[in-house]
Amino acid sequence: MTKYIIRRLLQAIPLLLITSAVIFVLLQSAGDPLATLGGRVPPRPEDRERLRRVMGLDQPIPVQYLYWLIGNDWVLIDRDGDGEPETPGTRKGVLRGDFGISSVTRQPAMQIVIDRLPNTLLLMVTAEFVIITSALFIGIYSAVRQYSLLDNVLTSLSFIMFSMPIFLVAFGLMYLFAVKTREWGLLYFPTAGMFDPRVGPTLGQLAWHLVLPVTAVSVVSIAAYSRYVRSNMLEVINSDYIRTAKAKGLNERRILFRHALKNACLPLVTLVGLDLPFFLAGAVVTEKIFAWPGMGRLFIDHLARLDYSVLMAILLLITAAVVVFQLLTDLVYTWLDPRIRYN
Amino acid sequence: MLKRNLSIFVLILALLVGVLGPVAAQEGEILRIDLTQEMDTLNPIYTNMWFSTTVMDLYLSPAWFIDDDLNPVPVLVTEIPSVENGGINEDGTVITLNLRDDIVWSDGEPITSADFVFTYDMILDPANTPSSRFPYDERITSIEASDERTVVVTFNDPYAPWLSYLFQTSVPLPMHVLQPIFESEGTIDFAEWNRAPSVGSGPFRWVEWQEGSHMRFERNENYFNDLAVLDGVFVRFVPDDATVVASLLAGDSDVGTFIPYSDAQALEESGSVNIELVNSSYNEGWFFNVDPETAHPAMLDVNVRKAIVMGFNRDQINQDLNLGITYTPGSYWEQSPYARPDAAPLPYDPEAAAQLLEEAGWVDSDGDGIREKDGVRLELRHVTSQRQIRLDVQVVAQQQLAEIGISLLLESYPSEIFFASYIDDGPTARGRYDIQEFSSPTAFPDPSFSRWLCTQIATDESPDGVNDQGYCNQEVDALFAESDRTTDFDARVALYHQIDQIITDDVIWAGVWYDPDLWAVNARFENTRISGADPLWNIANWSVAG
Repeated sequence: MTKYIIRRLLQAIPLLLITSAVIFVLLQSAGDPLATLGGRVPPRPEDRERLRRVMGLDQPIPVQYLYWLIGNDWVLIDRDGDGEPETPGTRKGVLRGDFGISSVTRQPAMQIVIDRLPNTLLLMVTAEFVIITSALFIGIYSAVRQYSLLDNVLTSLSFIMFSMPIFLVAFGLMYLFAVKTREWGLLYFPTAGMFDPRVGPTLGQLAWHLVLPVTAVSVVSIAAYSRYVRSNMLEVINSDYIRTAKAKGLNERRILFRHALKNACLPLVTLVGLDLPFFLAGAVVTEKIFAWPGMGRLFIDHLARLDYSVLMAILLLITAAVVVFQLLTDLVYTWLDPRIRYN
Repeated sequence: MLKRNLSIFVLILALLVGVLGPVAAQEGEILRIDLTQEMDTLNPIYTNMWFSTTVMDLYLSPAWFIDDDLNPVPVLVTEIPSVENGGINEDGTVITLNLRDDIVWSDGEPITSADFVFTYDMILDPANTPSSRFPYDERITSIEASDERTVVVTFNDPYAPWLSYLFQTSVPLPMHVLQPIFESEGTIDFAEWNRAPSVGSGPFRWVEWQEGSHMRFERNENYFNDLAVLDGVFVRFVPDDATVVASLLAGDSDVGTFIPYSDAQALEESGSVNIELVNSSYNEGWFFNVDPETAHPAMLDVNVRKAIVMGFNRDQINQDLNLGITYTPGSYWEQSPYARPDAAPLPYDPEAAAQLLEEAGWVDSDGDGIREKDGVRLELRHVTSQRQIRLDVQVVAQQQLAEIGISLLLESYPSEIFFASYIDDGPTARGRYDIQEFSSPTAFPDPSFSRWLCTQIATDESPDGVNDQGYCNQEVDALFAESDRTTDFDARVALYHQIDQIITDDVIWAGVWYDPDLWAVNARFENTRISGADPLWNIANWSVAG
């Protein structure tokens, strides 16, 4: 098993390198980060050229990638634009832990990313908790009470929610439970942010502000996951070993949760394993709509300014997370299904 | 399963505790502002973002503000320099700023002429990378402190737009905070003050910036003018327009900016929000490519350009898409003294437009609905950015111009590509268009504008130019140059009227709508005078009604 893990991790190194090169080139083709500098009018050409040199954008793309990877502290750069390199570079490169400086905020790119992680994890872990719990509850109930009235209602709702674009769900929730409920004098939820400044960031405020974004993130996934759980549970509870367990007189609840659910969960683990890396990416649409300051927002904000350092740090983090979580998912399989062995 | 769920629950709790900062509730009357973009920095020399310069009015003071009537209001200086008060010398090359005796930073240190000179030095120092060095590198030969209260600025030539630039956007920096950093690190590019300006000079004091989330300000008790009426300001970053509107309607915020025209009516009808239209010199318009190297041959004929404008119903765009909030401007300097008093847009008259095209030799000889001349179809490239309303305008224009035999090929790009430079092969910078639509300001409130100068046409040898229309009229160049040197207001207005007339006659630009900034302000606030140049210039006077 240890050899298997080491082999998988070693295989990830060229994968990360190739992925980083592809992403870097694609980002470079996305436009000019100095086009507007976030302003309403393009900057003066002289300033644009000066900043291009300082940011290293005057170099060919392969050279820019090389500097991003291994740094430029071994070369001189032409900062004053006289054609003669005179200033030593200061970047150490990703291989030495330096992801560069954000061209927007002039802060270390990885620091910006790490600062946003807790907010995104709070939203996404809460949402995943709601998704898994709700999907299991709905899926198991629907399987055990197949074709009952509630099963039919839940099935219909699942299809409706699964077909809804998330922005529609988000704005629908906001309009109904924030704007209209307030207008009607009912209990209402906040529209945006993490807390009311007049109250401060208390635990209660955070929880209150989480309700709508978590609901928006969750509903589509609950709809999909509950269908998987339902179909897998149906398959398992009709299998021979469950019948045997029933014939032996085992408690119904024990059969369901200890024997049936564990096997029915195997496909769910695959789905969750695929989801986990994207916890780090955040929920781009939901974070934008509810002004939740997470990684999804960070990505969108810095994409608008083509801030390569931050974008590369985010994308590389997600790529690494995909590799790690896929490995973890494969390892969880061996625990759930002892027949699976990695040699 | 229970254990795992419990673990997740504990993780959520830990994260909740992790994101809780040390921040307490803001007490008293707090103004809550929603901005759709977050500031890139809080140091004025490192940004040209509107959002950054707008928030700056809270914690920094310029030499003078530009008020909502576009008049300069002295802040750090005793009076606005003029020839009459001796602040400007006779040939207009030396401007003297006399500083007030009582101006202090929020930590109580006096603001002196040394702070002004330090700011100038920091902008020009090669170790720093400000977003722009204009006009300090091009127009100014020196800035010196003749004493603690006097700043002497010497220009290489008389420079009329100085009021829009000089220590107005590049607000004086606190030397006593930043100089030690510059001396120890060799640059202030990475100074902590840039993101945490704990010492400022505005009516409010910066308290906190939680990235991606919000920024907090509290009243500056050391402010040298009347203290702010409000206790604090909470700026929240809300990237989605629709959320800003919902927050205003739900009462979760007090101020929103750049409100879509389509939402203005609903906000006003709510009764709790006032909409304010603020002139900031923007006019959405069509810029015509007249460069013989890159433009469609038809674009070189002024009558064809005139026909394009007359075949496009701009009033309908203003009524139907902008819900009557805007109108068709007749001048690039609309709503300013620099626009000709009789300036009026060309009327929508498709019959006259078709007649002009016929007379210019563009006729539909093959009956396919599109005109041709010498075997060339009248098929024009219309290019714009991906702002939704621009995409809507493209579709309407395509239909209307088709009715007079002009085919529009529609292209749209994200703004970072649309505005990409000549060196970066930007589609407009390289002239790969016949008509481009966007909104561009002057050096507001100053009318100066360099897009139409012959010297600004970009080439491989000189790729820095911003005149991507290829328009060159030596008379216009001479008038712009003269206006830059003319410090007398009335004489300058007369020069701009001449420029406006030539631009109109040459039909190189057609306004689609006068494009004010839409601000939404909760009706419980009063004294909310918003300026297009310094939006929050009188924030100290904002108060709660009743």
